[in-house]
Amino acid sequence: MKTEIVVSGVGGQGVLLLAETLGTAAVLSGLDVRVSEIHGMAQRGGSVVCHIRMGEKIYSPTVMEGQADAIVALEPLEALRVIRYASEKTTVLMNTRPIAPAIVVMGAAKYPDMEVILDAIRRFTTDIIEVDAVEIAEKAGSPIAANMVMLGALASTGKLPTPKENVEKAIENLVPERYKEINIKAFQMGMEAAKKQST
Amino acid sequence: MPKPQLILRDAPGETHLLLGNEAIARGIIEAGVGVMATYPGTPSSEIADTLSAVAKDAGLYMEYSTNEIVATEVAAGAAMSGVRSAVAMKHVGLNVAADAFMTLAYTGVRAGMLVVSADDPYAFSSQNEQDNRRYALLSGVPMLEPSNPQEAKDMVLHGLELSESLELPCLMRTTTRVNHVRGPVKFGAIRKPKLEGGFLKDVQRFVMVPAHARVRHRVLLEKMRAAKDLSESSPYNRVVREGTELGIITSGAAYNYVMDAVEAMKVDAGVLKLGMTHPLPERLIGEFASQFDEVLVVEELEPYLETQTRSIAKEYAPKTKIYGKLNAELLPRLEELSTALVVQALSRLLGRETPVNFEEINQKYREATRRLPPRPPVMCPGCPHRASFYAIKKATGRKVVCTTDIGCYALGIQPPLRVGDALICMGASLGLACGISKATNSRTVAVVGDSTFFHAAIPGLINAAYNKHKITVAVLDNETTAMTGDQPHPGTGITGMGVPGKRILIEEVAKACGADYVKVVNPFNLKEATETFKEALQVDGVSVVVFRQPCRLLVVRKARKEGKKLPVAVVTDDCTNCKTCIEDFGCPAFYIKDGAILIDPLLCTGCMVCVQVCPYGAIKAERREAE
Ligand code: SF4
Ligand code: SF4
Repeated sequence: MKTEIVVSGVGGQGVLLLAETLGTAAVLSGLDVRVSEIHGMAQRGGSVVCHIRMGEKIYSPTVMEGQADAIVALEPLEALRVIRYASEKTTVLMNTRPIAPAIVVMGAAKYPDMEVILDAIRRFTTDIIEVDAVEIAEKAGSPIAANMVMLGALASTGKLPTPKENVEKAIENLVPERYKEINIKAFQMGMEAAKKQST
Repeated sequence: MPKPQLILRDAPGETHLLLGNEAIARGIIEAGVGVMATYPGTPSSEIADTLSAVAKDAGLYMEYSTNEIVATEVAAGAAMSGVRSAVAMKHVGLNVAADAFMTLAYTGVRAGMLVVSADDPYAFSSQNEQDNRRYALLSGVPMLEPSNPQEAKDMVLHGLELSESLELPCLMRTTTRVNHVRGPVKFGAIRKPKLEGGFLKDVQRFVMVPAHARVRHRVLLEKMRAAKDLSESSPYNRVVREGTELGIITSGAAYNYVMDAVEAMKVDAGVLKLGMTHPLPERLIGEFASQFDEVLVVEELEPYLETQTRSIAKEYAPKTKIYGKLNAELLPRLEELSTALVVQALSRLLGRETPVNFEEINQKYREATRRLPPRPPVMCPGCPHRASFYAIKKATGRKVVCTTDIGCYALGIQPPLRVGDALICMGASLGLACGISKATNSRTVAVVGDSTFFHAAIPGLINAAYNKHKITVAVLDNETTAMTGDQPHPGTGITGMGVPGKRILIEEVAKACGADYVKVVNPFNLKEATETFKEALQVDGVSVVVFRQPCRLLVVRKARKEGKKLPVAVVTDDCTNCKTCIEDFGCPAFYIKDGAILIDPLLCTGCMVCVQVCPYGAIKAERREAE
């Protein structure tokens, strides 16, 4: 059994931290894991994609088209940008808060309507969980913790092979002391929010 | 546990999640390397950065050298003196280091020396996709290719041993999908670094005048024969999967895709995994190939293994057909591989359906994303380069050719700034500007960053002054090496050991190089920066303007650490909706909502350059309220 996850977002949103947290949780659970990241030029406010694959024995660090169990998108457009990894079996967890790319701000392109984005995603999978992660993160103490809200939402789907405690332990391992509380809270609130939606 | 403590943990047997580059750093510590040198470059940077953070505690010496050839020479000097050393760089860095690297194969070393070359298939963060395995062929040194973080760590130790047994530097060739992949890594024991050696003089060996070089060339060929024997019996060259239907030969990151693709396609394939890929184990490859009618060679970028496998097969397995990139073009020579690409190659070779309909997915994907606005990387809000480019744009009126260079400022080519007409490699902005100015008989601007200036621009500047070229150099000095993760450089005066070194000032270097005009400006003072640059363009001869203002990420980090709040810019009612701020300047903190121009306070870092850009004085600086 393998669990394959694609995390996408915009540089600065904490995509890498989310992915590393999942990887750490996997190691804490005694699983093999690969987390694939892109650094450097690709991080300056551009699209960022991470692949996480965990299971008993993992080879490839990247997910094959159509094979993701879950896509966690910290921004709607970025959900669509990685949708080739989705198929009917995929749960798409999407932070609904849009961030306009520079080209949209300059008026040279239009940000698609949310319904258009959702329709495009539905061509691949109808299992979509929408989360206003920024709002929830603000309630937890800081909008920057939106990534942890989305991680919580992912944990609530039951698709992770790692127990929730190990994810929390991973957060504690990786987040600086003074932000721990906010991040754990954001994670838990994300779990709650997604649970409500899927029931 | 914080990373530095984790990396130094003396706990053999423990398993931790490490980035490939952290794993390499851990290997360097376990191997007791005494001297580490580097010039940062994606995807190699975190190797040395990880070591820089722990060097003092680990008891090893670590330096950020001015460029890759200097780094290689520093490491070579240490290894010649009996101290284990390592040097890390990105693939194009080895071009810079090549002059030293090639002849180092003649002199060889006394203690182990590891040269890590991090290649970047797909050029995620690079100017080309060159395959540095060919440097092993060219130079004759042994080469290792890891497939994952664990192997990367283990191969550091193995590589240093190889290096010592052959008295040659060992090349370790990684790729982005090894350097920037995290995986579990089992720690080994840490060997105390040996920092003190002694240089035993041996003129015939270490002084490469022609008479000695000819002798050492012969020695190198002998060592290569010995290396080939080591390769035949290397624990990293082995059949990892038995099968009868097809033989697959692979190495590096490609091996991972092979294992998944073979499973996905349910092929009864034998897989020969090569970890020591120079010199190649001819007998092993030949005997493996001879067991199959067909062999598929799976590797990234150039057909390095394939060409050699074909000539080996001629002797050992003349009836076996070898497939890959050359024969039937089953695999691409461009970009990086993936499981999907290997699955499709297997499908075409064996005439079997793929488990996933890639064509359908791609078609659906193209339709779904037809109107998806792209999101390329941009310069950060408050980036000093944006202000510098704005000043350059205003001063030149866009009528001057501007060559540019490697760094965050390469992003200046994007609209609305669009400064940058040619870029090829580190430091090339100056030489190119000289040639363009000569050929067009007009003043040409060269844009270069601070770290790049020290790395490779100085000979170009001297050349310009000496040959009286009409160029104006804009040095965008953000007081760090920003693109690769804020490494220090000579202009910062801080060393890799985290202690003060000597600070070298760019303006003083420029003067000493013979520039006729040198001025330092603060790009956040737009008017002064623009006027100065205009003046520099009028100089008869070589003019240099240093735009000095720290990288905004550093400023934000510092403010956060000190608990200070940076101011925020706010658009007032005086806004006429002219959009100069967005269409001419383009700070990403701006957005439009219901027709109104607004600034996102979460993104704004308070540089207050937009305040100077707005022709109507409609943007005001405000104090940020405490959260
Ligand atoms: S430049 Fe000034 S007036 Fe023009 S749109 Fe921007 S804020 Fe408004
Ligand atoms: S002050 Fe203006 S230019 Fe500077 S970051 Fe804020 S919005 Fe951007």
